[in-house]
Amino acid sequence: METAPTPEGLSTDILAIANLPVLWILAIGVFGAIIVQSLIYMKAARKAGPAADISAEELRTSFRAGAIAAIGPSLAVVLVSIALLTLFGTPAVLVRIGLVGSAATESASASLAAGTMGATLGGADYTQAVFVVAFMAMSLSGAGWMLATLVLTPVLRRGDTKLRRVNPALMAIVPAAALIGAFASLGIAELGKTPVHILSVIVSAVTMGVCILLANRTSATWLREWGLGISIIVGLFAAYIAHTSGMAPTA
Amino acid sequence: MSAADTAVTPSASLAEFDRTTSRWGQLTMGAALLFSLAAPLYLVLSTDLGITGGMIWTAYLAVAAAFFVLWFVEPITYYPVLGPAAMYQAFMIGNIANKLLPSALVAQAAIGAKAGTKRGEFAALMAICGAAMVHVVSMLLFVGILGTWLVSIIPTDIVDVARLYIFPAIIGGVLVQLIVTMKQPRVTVIAVVVAVVVLFVLVPAVPALAKPATGVVVLITAVLAWFLRSRKATATPTTLVN
Repeated sequence: METAPTPEGLSTDILAIANLPVLWILAIGVFGAIIVQSLIYMKAARKAGPAADISAEELRTSFRAGAIAAIGPSLAVVLVSIALLTLFGTPAVLVRIGLVGSAATESASASLAAGTMGATLGGADYTQAVFVVAFMAMSLSGAGWMLATLVLTPVLRRGDTKLRRVNPALMAIVPAAALIGAFASLGIAELGKTPVHILSVIVSAVTMGVCILLANRTSATWLREWGLGISIIVGLFAAYIAHTSGMAPTA
Repeated sequence: MSAADTAVTPSASLAEFDRTTSRWGQLTMGAALLFSLAAPLYLVLSTDLGITGGMIWTAYLAVAAAFFVLWFVEPITYYPVLGPAAMYQAFMIGNIANKLLPSALVAQAAIGAKAGTKRGEFAALMAICGAAMVHVVSMLLFVGILGTWLVSIIPTDIVDVARLYIFPAIIGGVLVQLIVTMKQPRVTVIAVVVAVVVLFVLVPAVPALAKPATGVVVLITAVLAWFLRSRKATATPTTLVN
């Protein structure tokens, strides 16, 4: 049933299609939607402020406090996004990391999708066709969260407590198991690849462990936000040393 | 007379606020949803890469098997904290646990508003607007405009290595972060054991399971975690990916 990708589909020049102008326009559209939403919300909040017993000054303070608190995490996200640029191109990174997804979920989705085509992200078999399928799967996955939000929010708002009465033990265990199971599977699958892959996983994991330990021991809570960015950089650094010193299989 | 006025007007204006935010929240989120799906769809339709519907479905099912529980659980989990209006913001921007919720809490503390009150809800909403603006500006400036340049000044052999090993470098850190924040040692052990067995025993024996391997791991882990759960302690629900 499945037809093989065309010769064009076998090209590994991802950025040739990942940077098409239409994609840039759609990416900007996404950010436009976020901006328009915030502007409408702020206007609505200012109008209804007195009824909610909150002054215009307090609304401004809240906005400023939220913005300042978001600087650290936002720059941490930027760092991870830049690391993903060569894999997905700028518009796809903007759309995927700019919407719902985090670096973790999006690259997990992309890795799973590439796996179904027998390819690995960034590898020699990471062709244009694999990129497009991975991008489609990432977007559909992100759409899952958005559709669930669109459907569930009005239901929850109407005070339908049925959803909230779900067994608390079930709510605690099954999602945690699904999440840890998914990422454990993806992480351990990397251990079945080249020695450099194994090294990258381990170095990144250890770095994150150290970051969390330091964040808990000292008052350096910023390490919690930057942990992933630092782990990726250190993991890649280790991969670079190992790769250039000949630990990688000769292609 | 005036007492009746002040009693009616605030609730009317709050009702209007609810109407405005839910209508526009849905509209803007719907627009973002369409834009985000249009981008890969455009590539599928406009390029001649030989991509079939079957390929997309297979990929989608593999991703859905890993994440579909979270699509529903996360909105339900965050609703009581965020309230209806902020739901549309939070699930558009993402990074809720590590960015938006801390922002909302800081803002509530700054003006001394309690969570769960209208003041608290409005403070959280404004804080998320502030966080959203920082998010948009930082992404557009550092990733959109400067990103390609930043990548271009990095030597190509480093970029090649980054491309090749970015995923293992992400997943190692993510896994540790997840295990530490979840604090579910029993589930973690089950997940790791299941993953090792599925990937290194089951898949080599039954190669057909290679594609849905992660889905299989998720399913078995969830079922085992449920039946092997500790009956004593009542864990608090915690989920965070986005």
